[in-house]
Amino acid sequence: MYQWKRIVINSFPLLFVSLVIEVLVGQLLFLKEEVLLTQLPLFLIAIPVINGVGGNIGSILGAHLASGLHVGSVKLSRNDSVMHETVVTAIVMGTVTYTLLSIGIYLIGLFNGLAMNVSIYSFVTIFLSTGILLIGLLSLISVLTAFISFKKGIDPDDVVAPVVTTIGDSFGILILFLFIGV
Amino acid sequence: MILKQMVKQSLPLLILCGIGGIFTGSILGSMVDIFQRIPGLLVVIPGIIALRGNISTAFGSRLGSAYHLGLIDAENMWNDALKQNVIGSLTLSILVSATIGLIAYVTTFVFFQQQVNLFFLLGTVLIAGITSGLLLTSFTIGIIYLVFKRGYDPDNITGPALATVGDITTMLCLFAAAILMEVIV
Repeated sequence: MYQWKRIVINSFPLLFVSLVIEVLVGQLLFLKEEVLLTQLPLFLIAIPVINGVGGNIGSILGAHLASGLHVGSVKLSRNDSVMHETVVTAIVMGTVTYTLLSIGIYLIGLFNGLAMNVSIYSFVTIFLSTGILLIGLLSLISVLTAFISFKKGIDPDDVVAPVVTTIGDSFGILILFLFIGV
Repeated sequence: MILKQMVKQSLPLLILCGIGGIFTGSILGSMVDIFQRIPGLLVVIPGIIALRGNISTAFGSRLGSAYHLGLIDAENMWNDALKQNVIGSLTLSILVSATIGLIAYVTTFVFFQQQVNLFFLLGTVLIAGITSGLLLTSFTIGIIYLVFKRGYDPDNITGPALATVGDITTMLCLFAAAILMEVIV
């Protein structure tokens, strides 16, 4: 049933696309390396958190929509009330999670001396603005990918998570840089 | 109704994963010196974290399906289905790590006309990719074994567990690999 060669051949193409995008994200970090490393190391800690939580929320949302579409409780309509409620829940959860974590990161930064140059007010504001904008974008992409793939007869479970996490990584960093203003 | 249920089941997990993210970020934060010494190392970070997650999660999810199909269970773990999966993910780890290193090298040259040490970069990424691959594969097998023993559905456990542990393990391996390569070179 399982053949290691087939596992490699089936997985590599999608992984390759994803890794090209991720290396480009890495180049974006490299472009701003000086600022990031010397002036704003606290945001270096924030990056995996913003991307990770964003990707997870998008994936949870996508999984719920996929199950809903499979069992018929979610209809392929832009006015579907279950879909609206799920999206709102995702955004609420994201906001709560990001608020708690941004305060946590700042406290850690105070302890290890990385919180220099940034006040808690501006750190939390930048972190939250990035987070909420990212979740909004990822929710939209999650709904679109789930609906479009379902309409085309592809299982949304296979598509939404990789799409949402890759886009989450790149746009998380882009939006963060936009708000930091580097 | 949806709100209450979703928040109850997902919020604790989200916060836990965020705390995992803080650990990953703190390791990144403590690597500032190394990043400054080795140009190009920062470039591979998003790729190696994302791909580690993809390969391991897919491995866990295939083992979950194998369990549901009756191909493996707690008494019958070390069989061909598991071996093929292990070899498959480790091969992917090596292939993907090498590709990340190469693409990072080429794009750094094209975008910034900056030549990074290819041997160093490839060595670091490969060592990190292979060790974190081995560690996470063993971790997944361990988790799957425990999950089988208790009769839970592996699909509910492996994804979040790997999402939390995977990034931290990968960053630690990358950190260690960079230091090791600095000693060698």
